[in-house]
Amino acid sequence: MRYVARRLAHAVLILIAISFLSFVLLQSAPGNYLDDLRMNPRISAQTINALRDKYGFDQPFPVRYARWMRSTLKGDMGFSFAYNGAVGPLVWTRARNTLLLTGSSTLIAWALALPLGVWSAARKGRWDDRLFSAATSTLLAIPDLLLFLLLLLLAARTGWFPAGGMASPGFDDLSTLGKVKDVCLHFALPSLGLALVSMPILVRHIRAAMIEALESPFIRAARGHGIPQKRLLWRYALPAASNPLISLLGLSIAGMLSASAIVEVVLSWPGLGPLMVQAVLSRDVYVVLAVVMLSSAFLVAGNLVADLLLFASDPRIRVE
Amino acid sequence: MSAARTDSLVSVRGLCKSYVQKRQFSGAKFTVDALCNVNLEIPRGATTALVGESGAGKSTLVRCVALLEKPTGGEIEFDGRNLLALDTEELFRARRQFQLVFQDPTSSLNPGMTAAEIVAEPLVIQREVTKTDRRRKAIELMEHVGLTSASADKRPLEFSGGQRQRLAIARALALRPKLLILDEAFSNLDLATRESILRLLRDLQAAHSLTYLHVSHDLRMVFDLADEVAVMYEGRIIEHGTALELFAQPQHHYTRGLLAATQLPARLATDCTAEAPR
Amino acid sequence: MKQLRKGGKLLVLLAGLHVPILLASFFAPYGFSEQNRERPFAPPSRIHFVDSVGRFHVRPFVYGLKDDPNTFGAYLVDTQEIYLLHFLVPGSSYRLMGLFPARKHLFGVDEPGRIFLMGTDGYGRDQFTRFIYGGQISLAAGILAAALSLLLGTLIGSFAGFCGGWIDNVVMRGGDIFLALPWLYLLFAVRAALPLHIAQWQVFLLLVAVIGLIGWAQPARLIRGVVLSAKERNFVAAARGFGASDFYLLRRHILPQTYGVMLTQMTLLIPRYVLAEVTLTFLGLGVGEPMPSWGSLLFALQQYYVLSSYWWMFLPAALLVPLFLAYFWTADALQEHLKSVPL
Repeated sequence: MRYVARRLAHAVLILIAISFLSFVLLQSAPGNYLDDLRMNPRISAQTINALRDKYGFDQPFPVRYARWMRSTLKGDMGFSFAYNGAVGPLVWTRARNTLLLTGSSTLIAWALALPLGVWSAARKGRWDDRLFSAATSTLLAIPDLLLFLLLLLLAARTGWFPAGGMASPGFDDLSTLGKVKDVCLHFALPSLGLALVSMPILVRHIRAAMIEALESPFIRAARGHGIPQKRLLWRYALPAASNPLISLLGLSIAGMLSASAIVEVVLSWPGLGPLMVQAVLSRDVYVVLAVVMLSSAFLVAGNLVADLLLFASDPRIRVE
Repeated sequence: MSAARTDSLVSVRGLCKSYVQKRQFSGAKFTVDALCNVNLEIPRGATTALVGESGAGKSTLVRCVALLEKPTGGEIEFDGRNLLALDTEELFRARRQFQLVFQDPTSSLNPGMTAAEIVAEPLVIQREVTKTDRRRKAIELMEHVGLTSASADKRPLEFSGGQRQRLAIARALALRPKLLILDEAFSNLDLATRESILRLLRDLQAAHSLTYLHVSHDLRMVFDLADEVAVMYEGRIIEHGTALELFAQPQHHYTRGLLAATQLPARLATDCTAEAPR
Repeated sequence: MKQLRKGGKLLVLLAGLHVPILLASFFAPYGFSEQNRERPFAPPSRIHFVDSVGRFHVRPFVYGLKDDPNTFGAYLVDTQEIYLLHFLVPGSSYRLMGLFPARKHLFGVDEPGRIFLMGTDGYGRDQFTRFIYGGQISLAAGILAAALSLLLGTLIGSFAGFCGGWIDNVVMRGGDIFLALPWLYLLFAVRAALPLHIAQWQVFLLLVAVIGLIGWAQPARLIRGVVLSAKERNFVAAARGFGASDFYLLRRHILPQTYGVMLTQMTLLIPRYVLAEVTLTFLGLGVGEPMPSWGSLLFALQQYYVLSSYWWMFLPAALLVPLFLAYFWTADALQEHLKSVPL
């Protein structure tokens, strides 16, 4: 239990540190928001004053930080200059979409990578393994961007999949089943793309972990006892390799989140990625902050889950 | 083999060394006492052996004496000077007087350096030699331990285990130390090589009046080599005396057990009145 | 030892791939901002040896282009116009590597013909030229950023590994924070903090600095690991026994152990960072027009009609695959070599 509490505290501390650093970073950006706001005719002087009070633009740094933290905890997360409203509601839907995408891609990627990695470890050195490794290397060398653009091309040319967005026009008129089907069609390509770019690295690492497990003495002993290969692989070696694999899960979430930003932009999936790009281009500082915080929070949460899984699965940790 | 027991080169008094370790996952700390109140006299010009099982603290003790580790308490006197009270400058110069030869010659030699560079390294560090002289001195040292000058540019891996150990000894002798500590320096060598290196060490001791401290768990070798023997167990020295005394009349039950587990040469059985069951 | 020769050969091959990019002004037939407004989105030129009447020419040639009267924006080959291909042609003057003035280009065709090895973009600019020049930007960005990351990572990692104790702890926790951030989002955030409209070379330097500085954590972790284990080696203890200072130990014994890891890391980081620059520029956050970063070359693909009609616009991205493969194979060979060297 102490372990769990420690990891939790660690995670919270990291998030706080990130929030602080990001805030410092963005506050050092040149430009005074108040002036920009005043130049915007759509925002009334009252709003500007209210904002100034709420976020303390002309106050010293610690005050601004504290006010932003408070606003975040209340759910507002600051003010978006581009959208003329609180950042919170803007970001939640997008975050949900990104989570949906990343979550499903992780599942697909692992569902593909795990059997492939295990299989190639079992057939290490043989011609089919070497061919497979070559194929993985090649896939790895394909830039994410290229893959996503090709998928977009596929969608455009064949019409099997919609080329963007999350829902077709006329979405609301569909039945529930129809709605589900529609969303699935829309997110099939981004999900598949994201899974494909993450898969090669996963396969490599899984293969390495499995090879190490397979070469350990206790597996050789088991083999000597006549345990069949298949059982050996899945019931003996895989659990032995689970420690590095669970850590890998945590890391793969990190990579997945970054790549998701790109796929969202290219395939027009309404997630945090396009929001972020727009916010950077329009210097919408609080939105940038919120996205950084949210994505970091996802990452930290993912790693925490991985750590807890590790704790639950590896008896060496619990014995301490 | 007999030693003129004059004064002590090294006096260790009340030496203690403990480590604090953290459990990997729960973070709880616990202390390990590697050495507890160790007292040891190492007589000048003689060969002292330190014996005991693995984990008894022998390596820790000699590393402390060689100032490779810092003891948590106690004193170490070398040639009349308190080693632990020296400042950085004095310490730097004092290091010339004692050297350690490690158990595994492969790991104690940098695989990327040539033999000449390795042997000359102490001279370089202590700034005792110019760049031009380096190689010449190194070859001198190598020849002194029975290696040819032709192998001066070879890397450690191109030597056999015995030759590597000779290199390590040559290196240790570069600064003309008074004390040579050999930390299980023969465990990795075969018998024939061991014999030839022991002969080398005997010659060197005679030629340079060296004092040796051998750490070993091979009692038979210790019996042949040592003038004095100290037995360690769980961080303490439980018995100390001349080799003959110890083997003939071990006082401590642990020493007796140790001897019992060893097959001693037949002449000892007739010489001594030990009750050593086979 | 066989691995080293293989790794060495691969390194040479890799370096060789960079030569055309380094000497872009020589290898490219045209300037990177030269426009041919009457030939937007022209397909890649085909090189022929046999002309339309069956005559064989020793010197290869390309046909001219004329507009297709039936389809808007398409071209037909004009078999009446033959432009011979020459090597070592005098062309527009340039400065080789920015220093030496010269006029000769590796290849070119007779005026007024044009050879578009990779087609043209919306402004009629030769994509092959822009690709080679673009390499100067994107590869330079990747290499510089990787060097920066590695340098920073090595400094911090060896410091942390050598000191151990609480310093090591603090530094690694700091690294954890950087690793905990999704790097692309972090990149965006830092980019947001910087002014949007600054001089191109400043953007370039900033990009390099940002990408490089963010990525210190991973090399630092690896180098720290090597330093930690090297620190415990007996030959380090032996040197300490001779009175060696910490600085000497690091310089002579510990850091040399890291060189192999550093080289491997470099070959792994460069493709990643090149891709980072390309992605940022593609999204509009990097080096802008008219600098031909590979990202700007791909930028046009964001438009539907370009994506679906003009396949040659994919070529810059496709050519990245063999380049990255070369880097990966080199990295693999280096890693194999590292594993075989007894430590």
